[in-house]
Amino acid sequence: MGLIRDLMAQPGVLAAGEYSYRGDRFSYEGNLTREMARMASIMCRATHMGVHMECDILGVFCPGCGLVPSRGWAVRGPRFSVCVMANFFCILENRDGVMNAVLKCMHESLDEVAIDMV
Amino acid sequence: MIRRLLALDGVLVAARFRDDGQLVEGYGLLDEHHMWRLARFAHDYKRFTQGNSDQFSMFTRLRGWTPPKGWIVRGEAHSVCSIGNLVCLVNNAEASLNEVMRELDDVSHF
Amino acid sequence: MIELSTLMSLNGAVAAFEFSDRGELVSHAVAPDPDMDPVALDMLSHVCVANISLASMQARGWEGVTGMNGFYPIQGFTLIGMDWTAVINGRHGVVLRNDSGDVEAAYRALGAGDQGP
Repeated sequence: MGLIRDLMAQPGVLAAGEYSYRGDRFSYEGNLTREMARMASIMCRATHMGVHMECDILGVFCPGCGLVPSRGWAVRGPRFSVCVMANFFCILENRDGVMNAVLKCMHESLDEVAIDMV
Repeated sequence: MIRRLLALDGVLVAARFRDDGQLVEGYGLLDEHHMWRLARFAHDYKRFTQGNSDQFSMFTRLRGWTPPKGWIVRGEAHSVCSIGNLVCLVNNAEASLNEVMRELDDVSHF
Repeated sequence: MIELSTLMSLNGAVAAFEFSDRGELVSHAVAPDPDMDPVALDMLSHVCVANISLASMQARGWEGVTGMNGFYPIQGFTLIGMDWTAVINGRHGVVLRNDSGDVEAAYRALGAGDQGP
């Protein structure tokens, strides 16, 4: 999939990658060592599984509401943010326009992707 | 086999789930729908705990935490305990967590 | 001071809410039609607090192991759903429609600062 390349083409993106839901493979591009990318994949996968479970429970309280099923999540630090959708992750700078552009790129590429892989 | 867990003091429900989260068998004080939800929760929480212990090991370089053997979530009146693909719902006032975890460990090998 | 009315004035806002450190819903506002009620918002608040804690652990670990700083302390969490996205920082959150919401504007309204590298 060309999503990693599309994400890397966005200004302010430091790295982008893909992990397998089984946890046995990952690939990435950007300014990370291979070990850092491996760690990022483990963290993103673990959180993604957790968010999926939490949204499953949330769905009991708001069946059919727009938050469920979950498509992804993002966290923001003082300088950098991480966005994850499906099994793709992206590390980006907190500059104006970067997160919106990354989310738009991920939505366009992944909104039609099946979510039952989780 | 897992019915013997119900013989322990304070154990209200005992269930076994598959690696995809489907309920295999369940006994005790829950209807089928809630038994199914308990199995699904236990499966998801197992994966969640595995993810967290992977990260804990990764960051601390401490050995012995992964793969995790089981977990307990303790609430005010009830707790949920799991080892392997087994899960129990227990009453805190009546159950001994040590005893329940020991028995879960034992039964999980069958 | 973050006002729920300010959050509800964001483009595509479906709901705005305030919660305690433990994730319990303190106050909320919901747009007229959406399928969101206080019970669901309370659960959403708990989800958000859980993920801020989890992300804090990850940011701490990541910075400690890699030396790459700029993730800790966590200043916000975003939950992306099928049609809506929830954006949270501190003790406030806002739910936006995916087709019209602006996540960065939400973060600004929630007081998350921009400190580019």
